[in-house]
Amino acid sequence: MQRLLGEKTAARRLARDADVPVAEGTEPLRDAAAARAAANDIGYPVLLKPAGGGGGKGMRVVGRDEDFEAAWRGATGEATAAFGAPALYLERQIRNARHIEMQILADSQGKVVWLGERDCSIQRRHQKLIEESPGPGVTEDLRAKLGAAAVRIAKRAGYVNAGTVEFLVDPVGYFNFLEVNTRLQVEHPVTEMVTGLDIVALQLRIAGGEPLRFTQDEITRQGVAIECRITAEDPFAGFVPASGRVALVREPGGPGIRVDSALFSGMTVPSEYDSLLAKVIAYGSNREEAMARMRRALEEMLVAGIPTSLPFHRAALHEQAFIAGRYDTDFVAHWDPKKAPELTDGAIAAGALAAVLAMRSHGERRAASPVADPVWARAGREDALR
Amino acid sequence: MRYEVTLEDRRLRVDLRHDGRFTVDDRVVAADVRETVRGRQWSITLDGESHEITVVTHDPLRLDLDGHDLRATVVDERALRANRGAAGTRSGRVELRAPMPGLLKAVHVKEGDRVAADAPLATLEAMKMENELLAPSAGRIAKVGAAVGAKVEAGAVLIVIATD
Repeated sequence: MQRLLGEKTAARRLARDADVPVAEGTEPLRDAAAARAAANDIGYPVLLKPAGGGGGKGMRVVGRDEDFEAAWRGATGEATAAFGAPALYLERQIRNARHIEMQILADSQGKVVWLGERDCSIQRRHQKLIEESPGPGVTEDLRAKLGAAAVRIAKRAGYVNAGTVEFLVDPVGYFNFLEVNTRLQVEHPVTEMVTGLDIVALQLRIAGGEPLRFTQDEITRQGVAIECRITAEDPFAGFVPASGRVALVREPGGPGIRVDSALFSGMTVPSEYDSLLAKVIAYGSNREEAMARMRRALEEMLVAGIPTSLPFHRAALHEQAFIAGRYDTDFVAHWDPKKAPELTDGAIAAGALAAVLAMRSHGERRAASPVADPVWARAGREDALR
Repeated sequence: MRYEVTLEDRRLRVDLRHDGRFTVDDRVVAADVRETVRGRQWSITLDGESHEITVVTHDPLRLDLDGHDLRATVVDERALRANRGAAGTRSGRVELRAPMPGLLKAVHVKEGDRVAADAPLATLEAMKMENELLAPSAGRIAKVGAAVGAKVEAGAVLIVIATD
């Protein structure tokens, strides 16, 4: 059953049977020639996806017939490396779409409830960077429809676990089933914050055979939660993954801030693994408050020594499209990394000062003296004694 | 103690003075310097803006300055002097700028006066405090750029010294 939903073309069939709209697409494809013919039938742009994949790996957008062969080769290689099952299929690409997903819980007694949606449209390489709940463009009506569709799919599959049903929603509000994630997702905290439910605990209870102890009507959602995935990537160089030693870490705190993190000062970020370093989640009674708390938390956070996505996240929270809640899956492509603030003369002067202090402290490593002592004055007195 | 600092392609002169003040490129800088992590991180407030500098590596020196990763070098006075022997003595113009916005309460020199380094040149009142502004280097007063009683902005040129 996990396999039924995990294999994407099977999941698409199942969604169709459950009366959930599915984007025009194909079954797994034999070879490049068959795929190319199918792409021409559906019409460009198309999305090439591994049937047994996840996490955006092996996915390619193909805009023109001429580019098809190269995309096929690239996607096949990536899918083989990541999943060992290189079967690919095609889907029509929906433009200006929002990636909206519905969190569900399904117990072994056959009860399925939906907890609410997350807007995960802000992605690079089909991998999420910011998620929020509720979706800023999602109406009460659409929410109920997505919830009901997700429940129908889970029931049809006989699904038992926490899970996520992903949809693409076009600018008019029409939606298409995308896939089912048969696991706990990175972005589950935003749903936990707005529902007050502990999804991990509920997942364990479900696995232990316990029935869900609440009904759909008893699930309430309050406020807004936003998550930023802080990754070891350079947002000024096309989000290329970075590795190296983290010199110093400061994680944010304060009201409404949750940090799920694996960071510590002195750690080495290897290049072999996923680039996710930490998740910063901000909760507010409304979206303005959640954004304000997130901005403050991102300013407070420090990861020195390796490039991280933090400058992107800080900038994104000030982008008009984000503030207005009107963004889609092209948000990152439209982000201009050149907008990053330049260093002012004041910053350079402060940096020069600190360089001298750093050089001195490294050279001396003297006995402790109170930290409250103004450092520069102390350095000056030390010089006077020479 | 004087230092020559490079941050990537920027070159700056930092003078750490015995009274605990300092100049950057001969400009007296009013800053609040806090060591937030011993030997590794400083929070420096300068012209009302707060900057955070973290040592990424000491050798070679690499700094994270407000999220920018910069290579840095620091050369101190002794090494500077050794290098300068061949070049001869420098001469030129040095500006004393207002380190903060304020009211110019007094100017202690007039054009043509000779001054020693660190001689008091003017008094600037800011935030109800009187700040003595000292000569960034020795020389002759080439110009007094603001009148007593004037309200000056941060960075305004108050006095120009022709250095020896």
